[in-house]
Amino acid sequence: MARAKGRHWVALWLVAFLVTTWLVYARQTAAIHAARELGDLRGRRANLDGHRADLERRIRAAESRAVLVPRAQARLGLHLPSDSEIVLVPAPSGSR
Amino acid sequence: MARPAVRIQVVEFGVLVGLALLVGRAVQVQILHGRRWAEEAQAQRTERIVLQARRGALYDRHGTPLAVTQETYHVGIAPNELRDPTADGALISRRLGLTAGAWQLALRRRYAYFAGPYSALEVQPLRSVRGVHLEPVLNRFYPDPAVARATIGRLGDDGLGASGLERTLDSLLAGRAGAAVVLKDRAGREYESPARVIAPPVPGLDVVLTLDAELQEIAQRALDDALRRMDADGGDVVMLDPGTGEVLALASRQRDGSARPSAFTDTFEPGSLAKIFAAAALLSLRRVSPTDRVSGEGGKWRVLGRTITDDDPQPSLTMADAIRVSSNIAIAKFAARLTPEEQYAMLRDFGFGALTGIEFPAEATGRLRPPSEWTRPSAASLAMGYELSVTPIQVAMAYGALANDGLLLEPTLIREVRSAGGGGGGGGGVRYRHRPEPVRRVVSREVAAALRSMLRGVVERGTGTEAALTNFPVAAKTGTARRVVNGRYAAGQYTASFAALFPADQPQLVLVVKIDNPHKGSYFAAQTAAPVTRSMLEQALAARTVALDRARLSTAAPRAAAAPVDDDGGLVPYVVPWPYQPDSAGVGPRRAVPDVAGFGMREAVRALHRRGFRVALRGWGVAEHTWPAAGDSAAAGSMVTLFADPHAGDRVRARGAAPPRRGARP
Repeated sequence: MARAKGRHWVALWLVAFLVTTWLVYARQTAAIHAARELGDLRGRRANLDGHRADLERRIRAAESRAVLVPRAQARLGLHLPSDSEIVLVPAPSGSR
Repeated sequence: MARPAVRIQVVEFGVLVGLALLVGRAVQVQILHGRRWAEEAQAQRTERIVLQARRGALYDRHGTPLAVTQETYHVGIAPNELRDPTADGALISRRLGLTAGAWQLALRRRYAYFAGPYSALEVQPLRSVRGVHLEPVLNRFYPDPAVARATIGRLGDDGLGASGLERTLDSLLAGRAGAAVVLKDRAGREYESPARVIAPPVPGLDVVLTLDAELQEIAQRALDDALRRMDADGGDVVMLDPGTGEVLALASRQRDGSARPSAFTDTFEPGSLAKIFAAAALLSLRRVSPTDRVSGEGGKWRVLGRTITDDDPQPSLTMADAIRVSSNIAIAKFAARLTPEEQYAMLRDFGFGALTGIEFPAEATGRLRPPSEWTRPSAASLAMGYELSVTPIQVAMAYGALANDGLLLEPTLIREVRSAGGGGGGGGGVRYRHRPEPVRRVVSREVAAALRSMLRGVVERGTGTEAALTNFPVAAKTGTARRVVNGRYAAGQYTASFAALFPADQPQLVLVVKIDNPHKGSYFAAQTAAPVTRSMLEQALAARTVALDRARLSTAAPRAAAAPVDDDGGLVPYVVPWPYQPDSAGVGPRRAVPDVAGFGMREAVRALHRRGFRVALRGWGVAEHTWPAAGDSAAAGSMVTLFADPHAGDRVRARGAAPPRRGARP
């Protein structure tokens, strides 16, 4: 088998260099792309978290006694029951 | 002129010297100073950033978030990077709430920075705008800022707990910040590249508090209403579970609207609230028997150069009477049977004059002087609740000991500590769970029961009748004491207080209400603090999620349980928690299902409830029939399905039975 000549070695090294460079470039590009995507997802999650917190806050405000009791009294004619108006129902046996 | 060979040698020497210098410099740069240059290069192209740790959340006992950490943003604008400054400017101004002037000012800078912080919702439309740089920052958020604000506390500007539980629990909640290295360009701007995480941030632990958000709201609203109605200077409400020492609600309010945690920090003279502790000493040491009587002295008694009066003079009183009508004369006479050391020891054993040990950064010990500092009237004064200053939380714990069969517990605000992400509803591993922490046995089980019986008499026939409920027995004591202002008793100023155990047998709830200096109407606790207590109890009973063991509660309603089935007074055989969970209550006796055909829905459901049945509704309008059918027997507590229809009334009439009049009993 004929020994590789000098220029073949040069070509081989050049190809190896190009492949390595391309691999580094590709890896960096993919990483930057992934980082950008991760950032976007983080932003979306933060946005959804914020949205959820806002909704929870509004639900709690709407459910609070300060809001519900006056509305129930004004619109439905309800009132806070005295203890004599609270009917307590017996629980059945222990089976679920 | 030198020969060529010499010239070549000179050149060669010069090159060699040059190379030697180069190598020497390389050695100097690479080897001798290599580390320094490497560090400098590293510093120029990388930056070490701190990764904030997410602060743990605070939840109420049912998992309702009270304090959470959320990502918010600082916003940086690079005007030269904006594609369309006019359109982008309008959007940015709108989202950040900037005036036209502020935006014009920002445009003139190289880089405008708006600290905000802005919520994720506010900055969401700006994410895609070129030239807008968002800097995430974690911020504390209180979903309902008014709930238990003083107890929960707040963070300082440094992000550390500055007050309340945020401060006490800071080491648990804070977590540990991480670090990462990011690449940056010549101008110091960070590259959009993955950060090299050196140490990941460790999120703080979540803490489930003992507070019940619904009870807390009930307490706050009741206190606010009372202070407004009575034009009072301030007040406190404490609710706790005597079986565990868990504080369920804490409300404090001052006239100026502030809500400093006065239940822990402000002391007051308890007045008649303390009479029960003199009675505890007398009963424990057997210095009084149930039949012992002392004269009421016609309501005025002069002793040791001082006149003691009663508002409700009695000819003679037993110990129970003294508590029931809150007689100063009788309790002073009975207390004379104790030595100062015995009287002091009992008050000390109930926790007065000492910190309760609750996890709050500030707490007052109150004042209980040792017998060596007493004057001659001190024994009588202490029996009446003077010469003694206490905090509302101390009073609540002392009454809690009476409720807990004589065992004093340490109060707590912390129910559980969980790993991050668990929330109140589970998921995160439990690192700590509160167990009742006994401090000492103050009185025996029998003495505690006898004292509760006396307190029950206060509500049934004494000074606390305004707190009485129809179906549940309540044990309580009123206290009206003169206020000390600048070291002296202020004329016409009083503290009205009320301590209640609910229900009187096997109490589940201890309530302490204190109203400072009511100006409108009566200043007596019987007319001020007692009705507030009743109102709160009624609301707690009607609330869905309040921490009451309703199965156990049902057994504490003997009057109702003994009532006949058809008694309109309200039948309380058992109570089911909602959402329903099976409990220890057994199968009830079998009863006939009432005929509710033709009734309105409300009357029909009420009639079935009175018989002790649970009701499932099918349809709407007028009750048509039930399953099991009317007249059949079913176990109390079983489900009866009620079928209704808007036109059922006609069909009932067609069957020959006239629909019963509204409100008639089946």
